[in-house]
Amino acid sequence: MKHIQAINRKATRMENSVAQTQDTQSTTDDVVALQDQQGPPQQPEGPHIPLGCSLVFSPGWEVDRNGGTAGLCQPVERDLFDCHRGCFWPAHVPDQLNHSPDWTSKCAAAQKDWRKVDLIFP
Amino acid sequence: MFCQDPRHLIIWSSFLVLVLIGSSSAAAQTAESDSSKGIPIDNATVKQACSSCHVADEKGRLSRISFRRTTPEGWQQTIRRMVTLNGVDLDPETAREVVRYLSNTLGLAPEEAYPAAYEVERRADDQPYKDAGIQETCTQCHSMGRVLNQRRTSKEWALLMAMHRGYYPFTDFQAFRRSGPATDEPQPVDQAIKHLSEHFPFQTSEWAAWSATMRPARVAGTWLIRGQALGLGPVYGSFTITPVPDTEDEFTTATTYTYARNGRRVTRTGQAIIYTGFQWRGRSSEDNGNTHREVMFVDRDLRTMRGRWFTGSYDEEGIDITLERADSQPVIAGVHPLALSTGTTETLRLYGLNLTGESPSNSIDLGPGIEIMEVLGNNDESFDIRVHVDAEASHGYRDLFFDRSNISNAIAVYDEVDRITVMPSTGMARVGGIRFPKQYQQFEARAYNDGPDGESNTADDLDLGIIDANWSIEEYAVTIGDDDTQYVGSIDGSGLFTPSLDGPNVERSGERNNIGDVWVTATYPAQTMSRSQLRARGHLVVTVPLYLRWDPTAVEQP
Repeated sequence: MKHIQAINRKATRMENSVAQTQDTQSTTDDVVALQDQQGPPQQPEGPHIPLGCSLVFSPGWEVDRNGGTAGLCQPVERDLFDCHRGCFWPAHVPDQLNHSPDWTSKCAAAQKDWRKVDLIFP
Repeated sequence: MFCQDPRHLIIWSSFLVLVLIGSSSAAAQTAESDSSKGIPIDNATVKQACSSCHVADEKGRLSRISFRRTTPEGWQQTIRRMVTLNGVDLDPETAREVVRYLSNTLGLAPEEAYPAAYEVERRADDQPYKDAGIQETCTQCHSMGRVLNQRRTSKEWALLMAMHRGYYPFTDFQAFRRSGPATDEPQPVDQAIKHLSEHFPFQTSEWAAWSATMRPARVAGTWLIRGQALGLGPVYGSFTITPVPDTEDEFTTATTYTYARNGRRVTRTGQAIIYTGFQWRGRSSEDNGNTHREVMFVDRDLRTMRGRWFTGSYDEEGIDITLERADSQPVIAGVHPLALSTGTTETLRLYGLNLTGESPSNSIDLGPGIEIMEVLGNNDESFDIRVHVDAEASHGYRDLFFDRSNISNAIAVYDEVDRITVMPSTGMARVGGIRFPKQYQQFEARAYNDGPDGESNTADDLDLGIIDANWSIEEYAVTIGDDDTQYVGSIDGSGLFTPSLDGPNVERSGERNNIGDVWVTATYPAQTMSRSQLRARGHLVVTVPLYLRWDPTAVEQP
């Protein structure tokens, strides 16, 4: 890198990020997402599969395909209404079709009124 | 995340109807071969509760119900679905009677229940299944253990898939059918029906053998507890089971155990029921209201039970439990600490039962190189001994001889800590605390000696037990400028990670939740001059809550 000079802001951020990462004793190999399927050698082998976790959807509920959270929809509350209406996450979010048709009736916008949605035991 | 266009819904719905028609015809083909199977229902409560929809045939078999076997949790999930979606009106007492009868009559044999014990024990690991394609189809939404705990006729497997399609129309697009050009290869759902019918059939030799001899296990008496709690270490104590009068399978329990590392003593009382002759489901509480659920399996010799006791909003806190029947003879459960350094004099505490009146100095033997200097007094459940480890003692595990019994590899003799590890290597927590509960993650650091070969991670390495490490979290850099460590939560001195609050965080870019990926790092002072400290780390995912909980919670209540 010593013969290359950053000439725009993005390149400067990359240089700073590399320097910062080296300062914290990690290595640049730790930057794993954006998103390498295999991951660097020190990454735990294969994604962890917590019980009930959906790994395979793209993105998944708890984790993305790489076993991390970088690929998840954020914030999750922004997504809840679509998940509910579309019954897309049947093991994670109440579905409008059958189990909980009125789940979101108390909040006009989940991202603002998320405190009004209930935990559902179907 | 997926915008709903009404036109798409119409198209999908039409497609679904075609799929269901296809599935129904497939089910019809298998119906004939399944007609000779099925177990009659001979219980008035079950008949009354179920037969308004489930029709009885001439042999007393109820449709659907008589052609499927599963765990108590599996039956409870089904009954809950009948109540919430099909309008069944059951009082709790009737529901419990139905679960009990169906679990005993249409349950699993021990050999069938063990492979997916992790599912009912609520362990946070789904084991890889031998067929990756089947696993991918099923684990899109739920764990594979949920499947492994089912036995069905071919027709029932086909109807189960149809149920999924009916209740969750997206399953076709998410898992059950391939997209892209048509091929001759069967669709994933059809492969699953075929595979599961072959590998998890309704009729099995295991169930035939078990159901012929099955009866409530005779477990009354006192049992020795050997447990292991992540981050907290070994647990030793006693578990006394008393039958409830006029019942065969209900019990009350009195439990006392001690965490060997910190001496904390816990007393619990509880109740339990044994399903299918071997599946213990209990619930016990401390005086402060702290409640454990107990899921265990009684070995066929009626001398051992194994399982997990757990609590937490996501069942994440637990103790791996082994119970051994304790007669009136003195018996040792374990020892603390688990490792002794050469050339030192230390005090060991031995835990067990029926120890009062024993003369431990005569009956105990810790093996070559460990001299027992003094017995420091004893009570019924423990005693202390002062031991000296010879400076030249060979490194390795020592069996602990006590009276006429033996505990293998009870103590490790070593010279120094060569490395440490963090367990689990991958953990998961969920944000919570405002609207939804937190899921905590406990970590533990263990020390190892390299063993005689002097090389790490070889078969002769010695596990020296849990150590008091210094804990911290570090960035698991996934994106440039990753900032997870500022938001996800904190880890305390015992290795317990507490996630941050749920909800969008307005102080974070994009109002992201307090989720992220971090390393959990343990450090420990090195005993050699070449290194200042030993270091190990585990991966932690801090993620979003569940808004829906399928987990049964009441099968342990008689």
